[in-house]
Amino acid sequence: MVNHTNHDDFALDIHDLTVAYNSSPALWDVDLQVPEGVLMAVVGPNGAGKSTLIKAALDLIPRATGDIRFYGQPYARARHLVGYVPQRSSVDWDFPTSVLDVVMMGLYGKLGWFRRPGKRERELAMAALEQVSLSDLAHRQISQLSGGQQQRTFLARALVQDAQLYFMDEPFAAVDAVTERAIVTLLHELRARGKTVIVVHHDLQTVPEYFDWVALLNVQLIASGPTEVVYTEDNLMKTYGGRISTLASSRDRMEV
Amino acid sequence: MYALEQIIITILVKFIPIEQLNAALSDPRAVAILIGALVSISTACLGVFLLLRKMSLTSDAISHTVLLGIVVAFFVMVGLLGTEADLSSPLLVIGAAAAGVLTVILTELVQRSGLVKQDAALGLVFPLLFAIAIIIISRYADDVHLDTDAVLVGEIGVAWANTNSHCFDNCDDVVITPDHPRAEMGRRCINCSSGGITPRDPKAVFEEVCANCGTYSAAEAWRERLIPEPPALVFWPRSLTLMGLVTLLNVGFIALFYKELKLTSFDSALATALGFRPVALNYMLMTLVSVTAVSAFDAVGSVLVVAFFIIPAATAYLLTDRLAIMLLISPVFGALSAMTGYELARGQLLGILPISDVLVFLDRTVGLDGYTQWNSSISASMVIMAFLFFLAAWVLSPRYGLVAAALRRRMQRQQFADQMILGHIYHHQGRPEAPEELAADRLHEHLGWTPTHTRLAIARLRTLNLVILEDEQVRLTPRGERVVSEFLHTQLHAGQPTG
Repeated sequence: MVNHTNHDDFALDIHDLTVAYNSSPALWDVDLQVPEGVLMAVVGPNGAGKSTLIKAALDLIPRATGDIRFYGQPYARARHLVGYVPQRSSVDWDFPTSVLDVVMMGLYGKLGWFRRPGKRERELAMAALEQVSLSDLAHRQISQLSGGQQQRTFLARALVQDAQLYFMDEPFAAVDAVTERAIVTLLHELRARGKTVIVVHHDLQTVPEYFDWVALLNVQLIASGPTEVVYTEDNLMKTYGGRISTLASSRDRMEV
Repeated sequence: MYALEQIIITILVKFIPIEQLNAALSDPRAVAILIGALVSISTACLGVFLLLRKMSLTSDAISHTVLLGIVVAFFVMVGLLGTEADLSSPLLVIGAAAAGVLTVILTELVQRSGLVKQDAALGLVFPLLFAIAIIIISRYADDVHLDTDAVLVGEIGVAWANTNSHCFDNCDDVVITPDHPRAEMGRRCINCSSGGITPRDPKAVFEEVCANCGTYSAAEAWRERLIPEPPALVFWPRSLTLMGLVTLLNVGFIALFYKELKLTSFDSALATALGFRPVALNYMLMTLVSVTAVSAFDAVGSVLVVAFFIIPAATAYLLTDRLAIMLLISPVFGALSAMTGYELARGQLLGILPISDVLVFLDRTVGLDGYTQWNSSISASMVIMAFLFFLAAWVLSPRYGLVAAALRRRMQRQQFADQMILGHIYHHQGRPEAPEELAADRLHEHLGWTPTHTRLAIARLRTLNLVILEDEQVRLTPRGERVVSEFLHTQLHAGQPTG
């Protein structure tokens, strides 16, 4: 592996991040450090800003304040180190393209403007499809995939990016048990290869089983750290139950 | 533009005699079809991306607001530069591009306020810009050639008549001076009008005058037979150059940015994350849509051009699952519509149905007051043909067509019916109630089907070697047993199908 990293640097270092939509904060003064090589769940109620956190990190939305660094670099200089699995519903699955084509899109960043994917890119994409057991469906039109297959296509697309850090936005949403197990296996493989994975997750029960690191978020960061230390009843209450107490400090904007 | 035409014609006349070239270029049919095809190809390939980005109606908005660009460009031409208003000026293209981009920017501003949705934002912005254009036209620019017909349907039928002339041989101006052998010299009395002097009068003073002296352009010189050979002139329809350029521009843009357009159209967030510029690409696309709309304005007007953008793309969308193939067949359908559309306007539907014959027949039977001549709008007929092709794809597309879908449903129903019979036999076979439940002639009562339907299903299952008849009893073959147990296992016992 190329030594991109300074030992003092976190894989992801978020400092004083605030994001606002139409002047109401979606994220409020978030400070979050993610060490390299962890498998981190981001949990929190709907509207807590979990997807916003990822989008702000990837420079997809403007931030009001804050600084975000990947291995000590701003995103614009660390693109090649970061892989992204958006929510499945964020694209039109009737788009006229094949599974293999979608996976190859993960390589477009490395190709840059104008250069076309070729034989090498096809091979890399096929290898990634192999990892998610979808090679049989490589030439299928994407509209013919089940939800789980769509999710695995997106995972394969992130895998070909060969990143150091992965963001996954609800990869477990509405997938069947087989796909869920396949994703978990893949996550553990990634961690074994020294990658850092940050996953927006909804199923509170499986957090301790799947993840070794966790961030509890509800507009503000409630807690983050090793799962066994911070994933406590008390913190969950603060994140989900004690809505009023957690938000008293960030003005009473969320009665929803 | 003129220089470009000169180059094209120079190349063409190396292969084609000038007379033939001129004959082709002054043939209304050939020119209309060629321009129609160029309009169709340039619009249809952009249309694919408009359709996939769910921006079909943006092209409608832009094709209207380019009128504002045209009007402002006319103003600059006539008012500021003092030149003649010209529908093929590059200024027009610049004005249109600016108006198109303005439409998109304003729409996004309105939409970003969060107070109205995208469709409403579009519906607010484009009529506003269009209305401003109309007011300017009617208030200040009455003398400018922009009538409602041109706005509605264009004038593709007369495109052949609006030409630039290019000369290739014997092009020099001819100057006739009094000592020229062809000079027609005469004498003229210079003091005859005054003082009652007549030309016969000895006092009359004469001077030599030349009746035909002066400078003649090559064409005029030929008309006066001042030169022995005609100048080699080519009359080139102006729209041809503009539409050709726009077609090249669009095809080149898509060829160059194919990968980037595909990525941004499918997943613009990933495109941004990977360091591409979806917003810049979108504005480039919208600029091209504007430029194309204004270039096609002359030929097909500002309303029908939307159909040229969208219908061939929608047809292609129904026929393929691959973007690259869609980009190939969409312009093909566009060009086909242009060709067959011209013939439709002249009264031939796909070369099989002469419409005037139908009119004559109708005139005789129901009476049309002798109205038997079919001669209709060319651009509108092209749109009708494009729509007919879409309709054909909608019904007949192998994967998504109505016929295919109906066949698929029928097949599924049949398969399900088969499984129900097999399941019924499987369930009762070898049990005490079997003779009653499995009697071939009474089976329909247990299934609640009509006897015919049941008989047909049994016959089908027998040919498939899934069921046999023994003593008027239906029984499963070993193959039938395998099929039914597999079906029950996968469909009923496994819970949800695996991802």
